Order: sequence, then structure tokens, then C-alpha cells
Amino acid sequence: MSRPVPTQDPVETKKLPGNTMIEMIKVSRTYVPDITALSDISFAVDTGELFFLIGRSGAGKTTLLKLICNMDTPSKGLIEVAGHNINNLKGNKLAHLRQKIGVAYQDFKLLSDRTVAENIAIAMEVSYKKASAIRLRVRDLLDQLQLADKHDTLTGDLSRGEQQRVALARSVANSPRLILVDEPTGNLDATTTERVMELLNRSNKAGATIVIATHDASIYKDGNHRVMELRNGKIHSLSRNSR
Amino acid sequence: MNFWFAVFRQAGRNLRQTWTSQLMTFLTVSLSVLIFAFFYLIYTNMIGASDRLSDDLRLIVYLEDDPGPEMQEQLRRKINNFDKTEAILFISKAEAYERFAKQLGKDSDILTDMPKDFLPASIEVVPLKSLRGYNQIKLFSEYLATLPGSEKVQYGQEWVERFYYVTRLVTIVVLLSGTLLILTATFMVAYTIRLTIMGRHEELELLKLVGATNNYIRTPFLLEGTIQGFMGSIIGLCALYILFQWISRHFAGPGLLNIFNFSFFPPMVIVCIIFGSIGLCTIGSFTSIQKFLKI
Repeated sequence: MSRPVPTQDPVETKKLPGNTMIEMIKVSRTYVPDITALSDISFAVDTGELFFLIGRSGAGKTTLLKLICNMDTPSKGLIEVAGHNINNLKGNKLAHLRQKIGVAYQDFKLLSDRTVAENIAIAMEVSYKKASAIRLRVRDLLDQLQLADKHDTLTGDLSRGEQQRVALARSVANSPRLILVDEPTGNLDATTTERVMELLNRSNKAGATIVIATHDASIYKDGNHRVMELRNGKIHSLSRNSR
Repeated sequence: MNFWFAVFRQAGRNLRQTWTSQLMTFLTVSLSVLIFAFFYLIYTNMIGASDRLSDDLRLIVYLEDDPGPEMQEQLRRKINNFDKTEAILFISKAEAYERFAKQLGKDSDILTDMPKDFLPASIEVVPLKSLRGYNQIKLFSEYLATLPGSEKVQYGQEWVERFYYVTRLVTIVVLLSGTLLILTATFMVAYTIRLTIMGRHEELELLKLVGATNNYIRTPFLLEGTIQGFMGSIIGLCALYILFQWISRHFAGPGLLNIFNFSFFPPMVIVCIIFGSIGLCTIGSFTSIQKFLKI
């Protein structure tokens, strides 16, 4: 699945052996007083790979995603994203790298007093995309996710399933090189789940590396993807789907 | 979309969403500028009046008798030995009589029965303009009182003393009010910006997560501070100008204002006040947003 991605951002991508997008080496995260969320996690995700992170609730999936996007810092270990030790990046360098990482959070992080369109546009506005390009992209994403009629609706007035799709649309809006998705289908029916996965697959085919944390087996059982299972903050298994 | 478009849109959004607290801050800044500028205007006018009064300042040493030419030379030397002067004039008894008669004008006939030497001889000492501090004048007058043949020294002590103390009081009031009002305005702006930040904490967090640079987040708040400072100072100065015009109209004519020759700030001072206000309000915004960006 590895494919080269052109570097356009100010944070220059260092090419690692095997074109690695994410590399974690002996990463642990503990919270006071002594709760271990993750322990000795080591794995790598190639550029352009579609990678699944599975496990029960509380296994450490969300913590792992938060560490990758630098929303949280590890207690121990090294995390490299696009060749950069993400915990050493600060200021503009961190901001520019984050512009290339799209994240769909489990709690959505939508601004409830803004419209659907404004929420999706925010990811593109910070990288100074043209207003016309933003409008087009927002419309296109809303069409793909069957939310075209919600363009001017405040996100606070949406159902959870609709909010989830808006969060997903925002994560892919800026055509990021890395997309982290936390439980993308938790509140969706089978048809909408299929549409969401189509959108993610399209982004993946366009070159984005995608990490999906889920416990919905229906979305990872098909295809030739790597699947990593976490149990109690540790890697239980890391294998490739054979189908 | 460019950086400045994004900044202006964000600042506009901030102002719209928090307009009540923005209005309160704007009024506080205006009032602070008005009060400070009011005292400063009084201060500058008093300094101007003090300069004008000191132009006319002269110490008069009344003598027991008319000094002869040798004595005059000796006295001149003694005075110049103590301090440099602009001029030293010797007024004989006869000259004093003539001056007095001239001052009386039409009423000078009241002097007809008076002897021509009934007024004392005197020395008029005009000190250098650079040496006209209250304490220097006082010391000088004390020295002049010790000159041979000196009876009394006059320079309008009471008036000079009172004026000096009033000027000093106004200076203290200007300094204190200036400091307090500067602090008030700065804290008010910082507090409003902090409230705005707290009210939009979720959005700012999200902006950081989607890759907004610190400048993208910071600049709209700095712009808000700048606008507060600019608008506040303009309104404060306009209010002061209206007050100044009202005072000038209602208290014009002979009286205190004529002594003061009451005038408004020159353009340079107005520009300094506006830029000072902008600077302080921007600093207030900067400190608030920096605290958030460090989190």
C-alpha cells in the first residue's frame, strides 16, 4: 500500500526506511495516580496504508490516537510522524504538521454554535485555502455524506450520527496526508457506514495514510489491511487480513 | 483566503459574540483616557502659566538709602558672585517716585504734598530663566536680604509659593491618576480578552488541533486590543475637547483662564496619547493570549 506523497508543507517530510508515516517505539502512557493506559507500544504504519486499531472500550485506542496527533504526550517512548519526533515539535512547525493530519474525534469536537459548513471549513481556513475552493470542497463532502441539506444547520441541532459524519468530513476536508479516525461508525446505520468507508477509502486511494480505531468488525473484516488489537494498553496482536 | 482576511473575520466574530463586555471595556478605556488627559491638560496649562509668570519674575531688594556708584558696583559684584542674572537695575528714590506717579496716571496729584524721596531706593534683580525653581528663588532672596543696606526683599513670595505647591500637587495627581488609569485600562482590556478566550476556549482548542498557527490565533485578539485602544482614546479625547470648549466658552473673559491662557493639546501630544492607549491595550491583549497559547 505504500505510495510516495508529494511534500507541499513547510514541515519537510524526512523519508524513513520503508516510507514510514507513523513510528512508535516503546511508548507508554500512564496517568496519575497509577493508571496505565498504554504500555510498551511499538509499531509502524507505512505511508498510504489503511491501518485498523481494534480493541474493547478502554483498551487504549483513543489514547494511542491522541498521542499520534500530539493531543497528549507519552510518559515514555518515541513517536515519529512523517519523520518528525512529534513531541519535540513546537509553534509553527507543529501547526504545519497538524494541518496535514486530519482527526475525527470520538467526541466530535464540533462547534455547536456554528453551521455544518463552517465546522468543515475551519480545517481549510487555517491553511488559507481560497474561499471558493473551500465552498466547493464543503459542498462535495456534504454530498458524499448525504448531508447536503444540512449545509446551514447548526451542528448543535444535528443527530449524533449526523454530527459524526460532519466530524469525519472535517477530518478529510483539507486533504491531509494522515487521517486518524476514532470510532467512525459508532452511531451510523449500515448504509451510512458504507458511505463513510467509501469516503475514507477514496482518501486512502488518493494517498492518505489512515488509522481507524474501531470495534466494529464489519468495517475491517474485508480487505487486505493490517489490524492491530490492543488489550489493557498492550498490543495483543498485529496481523494482516488475508481476505 | 489570506492571513489578514482570516484575522479580520475572526476579530469581527469576536466583537460580535462578546459585544457587551467589549462595550464595557471600550467605555472604561474612554473614561480612563478622558480622566488622564483632563489632568494632563491642566498640568500642561499650569506649566505654561508658570513659564509665563517666571518671565515677569524679578526680585526687588529695598535699600535703606540710594547707593553711590561705587556701592552700586560692589552690590552688583556681590549679587553676580552668588548667581548669574539676566539684569540688575538700580532704582533711586527719585526714579521710584516718578514710576509711582506714572502708574497713578490721572490720580498722580495725590502725590503733590508728598516729598520726592518718600519711596525707598531699590534693586531689581532679574534671575536667569534657567534658575527659576522655587527653591532657587527662595535661596536667592535669602541671600539678597543679607546684602549691605538691604531692608526687605520682595518677589510675590505668597503667590509664587502657592503656585509652586499647586503645580506640584497637580503633577502628583497627574502621575498617580496616569499610573492608575493606565493600569486600569490595561487590566480591563486583558480581562475582557481573557473572558473572550474563556468563552471561546473550545474553538481555540480546536483551531490548535487543526493546525492554526499561534499568529492565526493571536492576531485577532491583538487587533481587538488595538481597536479598543484606538477607539477608546479617540472618544476620550473628543469628550475632553468638548469639555474644553465648554469651559473656554463659559469661563472666557478676565479671570483665571486669562492668566492660564487655556489651550488644548498640540497635535503631537494627541498622537502620543492615541498611540500610548493603543500600545497599552495591545499589551493587555498580548499578555492574555500568551497565557492561553502556553497551555
